[in-house]
Amino acid sequence: MASTNCWRCLARPSQRLLLAPASMTAASSNPTSAAFSTSTQLAARSTSGDTGMSRHIRTGKRLILGKKKRQGDKHKTPGPGERKAFRKRIQLSNDNALVVPGLAELTAQNVVDPGAVGQVVGIPVDVVDQLRTCEAFKSTQNWGLFRSPHMLIRKETVDMAQQLTDAVAKKETLRMVVTGDRGSGKSILGLQALATGFLNKWVVINIPEAQELTTAATEYSTVHNSDMFSQPVYIVKLMQAIHKANGPILSQCRVELDHMQLPISVTRNMSLAALINATKEPEFAWPVFQAFWKELLRPGRPPIMFALDGLAHIMRVSDYRSPAFELIHSHDLGLVRMFAEALGGKTPFPNGAAVLAVCSRGNAPILPSMDKALEQAAAIQAGAKAEEVPLRDAFYRKYDERVFEALRGVRVLDVRGVTKHEARSLMEYWAASGVLRLRVDEKNVSDRWTLAGGGVLAEMERVSLYDIRATV
Amino acid sequence: MALLEALSGAPGGGTEGVQVTFARPMPVSPSYFSRQPEFNDSFVLVQDLARRFGRLPTLPPGQAERVAWKTKEQYRLAIGEAVKARDYAACIGLVKRLHQIHPDLMPEEVKQGIRPFKRDINIYLNTPKLMPVDRFGRSHGVGKRKSSIARAWLVEGMGEVLINGKTLNDAFGRVHDRESALWGLKSMDRIDKYNVWALVEGGGTTGQAEALAMAIAKALVVHEPALKTPLRKAGCITRDPRTVERKKPGHVKARKMPAWVKR
Repeated sequence: MASTNCWRCLARPSQRLLLAPASMTAASSNPTSAAFSTSTQLAARSTSGDTGMSRHIRTGKRLILGKKKRQGDKHKTPGPGERKAFRKRIQLSNDNALVVPGLAELTAQNVVDPGAVGQVVGIPVDVVDQLRTCEAFKSTQNWGLFRSPHMLIRKETVDMAQQLTDAVAKKETLRMVVTGDRGSGKSILGLQALATGFLNKWVVINIPEAQELTTAATEYSTVHNSDMFSQPVYIVKLMQAIHKANGPILSQCRVELDHMQLPISVTRNMSLAALINATKEPEFAWPVFQAFWKELLRPGRPPIMFALDGLAHIMRVSDYRSPAFELIHSHDLGLVRMFAEALGGKTPFPNGAAVLAVCSRGNAPILPSMDKALEQAAAIQAGAKAEEVPLRDAFYRKYDERVFEALRGVRVLDVRGVTKHEARSLMEYWAASGVLRLRVDEKNVSDRWTLAGGGVLAEMERVSLYDIRATV
Repeated sequence: MALLEALSGAPGGGTEGVQVTFARPMPVSPSYFSRQPEFNDSFVLVQDLARRFGRLPTLPPGQAERVAWKTKEQYRLAIGEAVKARDYAACIGLVKRLHQIHPDLMPEEVKQGIRPFKRDINIYLNTPKLMPVDRFGRSHGVGKRKSSIARAWLVEGMGEVLINGKTLNDAFGRVHDRESALWGLKSMDRIDKYNVWALVEGGGTTGQAEALAMAIAKALVVHEPALKTPLRKAGCITRDPRTVERKKPGHVKARKMPAWVKR
């Protein structure tokens, strides 16, 4: 710590008080703000070297007895936010990995082709960009181990893509919830659905983490003349992502309605891309997004794919509070309500749409209402009669009616482990990429398949790629 | 008792014409005054039998009925004499040699003579109850480790595993535990040949995994008895007897003592 009296100034502290205020530092007269600050530089200097001013000037001449004082750690500590950025970074390529030649690329055709089940395909570069823009890649997925993003087409992929494209071709709305065990590949399936949307030139809107909307992590404000709340900053970000990912499609569509109430001027010859890119002002975000949504729902627009990851987080009471300091239900947040109504079938989509909600198992609140609603939906989908559908627990009071509304009549896709055939082609891809140093034969594949609890994909990766023992 | 018999028997044993001045009690066994009369008698008898019947035809080695012989300590306890190790070794060697005589030709004397050296219960007659593969193709095995008990049923299949109704990755978070649970199948290259359905209770994860290893190995032996020896070598057949050591009074734990405090 620096001494209280200044070594440059020869005046003693007692005398210093007697000095004229003009000779004192300017900072003392205005303590609240400074034109610039050298504190960071000083801090850097004091940590980096021993030539700092804070030490005594005659340090070098002092007799030091005993052991040499240990210097602090020389390494640079990460700056604020750096650690989190490193943890959350998404690495989609790795030059150390081997190129795997001879793999096909994902197309709109082979994603619905049952013959392609069990193939590992590359994601086309432009789709990778679009997926990255809408944050479909997660930091928990192992894209960084491989040369370029590839994915396995599994039976569920083809099944889902088939349902999506069929519904959209018939201009219907497919409302689907993807559930399954932890690590079984639900988010990747969501990514595959988004890729299908991009390949088929649909308008893809993705909410990558529902948690961000309801844990009171982003700003919110009341919406005039309604009971809803909007999250303007998030919506600006979302609109930018939509514009960037769907720009070419949106720029072909013109604005058809009069948006007199909008704070920005919108003319008839504007494209939708221009509309969504019109504002970066958080105050205008929600009205503009609503106008964009209204325009998208007009007949003759491209089909919509609306996806969300982490469904459970929007099926509970959020952490936000109303001006009366009461907790806000998630469905009272504007964007969440938009998704919930789309998922519940209340929004008519004249051009066909796919509303996809992906559950997460690792990070999800326990919600009896959602579990029961999905159980009922799965039973109805399996063809159960009205009396066979599982009933609600009569002694549980806290069922949330809005959750049942939002999940009424959805299709449920339960994701399990992959088959041995799929596991084998995946392991062959890993081996070809150089991350799996193991002979890929039937014995090894079935060993890993069993140890992974029947081909649960995350466990397959854990068992195969993170095996620290030397394998022959 | 032997002494009383000797007393009563001694006058009768003498001839009529001989004048007996007084009846002196004589012990029956000549080794009465040695410190180990019973063993000495047996040893002498065995030596005598070996001399007399040593040339009778024997069974080929390994074909005689397995007998649990008394160890030196067990023999000492049984007769209450301090038998020397060297003597007992010599004696039991002869006994085992006599036991090799072909059972059809085995004289009754020999059978009686070697009886004191047999244990009361022949453990080799204990045969484990056979658990056959049932009509559904299931075999059943039980395993224990620490305080866990596992029951496993094996059917021929594709390598699917359900433990307490959960998949393997739900039942065991650690990959190591998964491997040790299936170690019997994995070390025999049988993972993709059988399906496992198991119930485990008690103990922690490690104990449950290793109890399962034993249960699965035992169930596997029912399907393929020839795998018993390799499975034993893989460490799946023998029950690991180590359990938690009990806490003792005066100790903080089983062995830990309270810290020393000066007064």
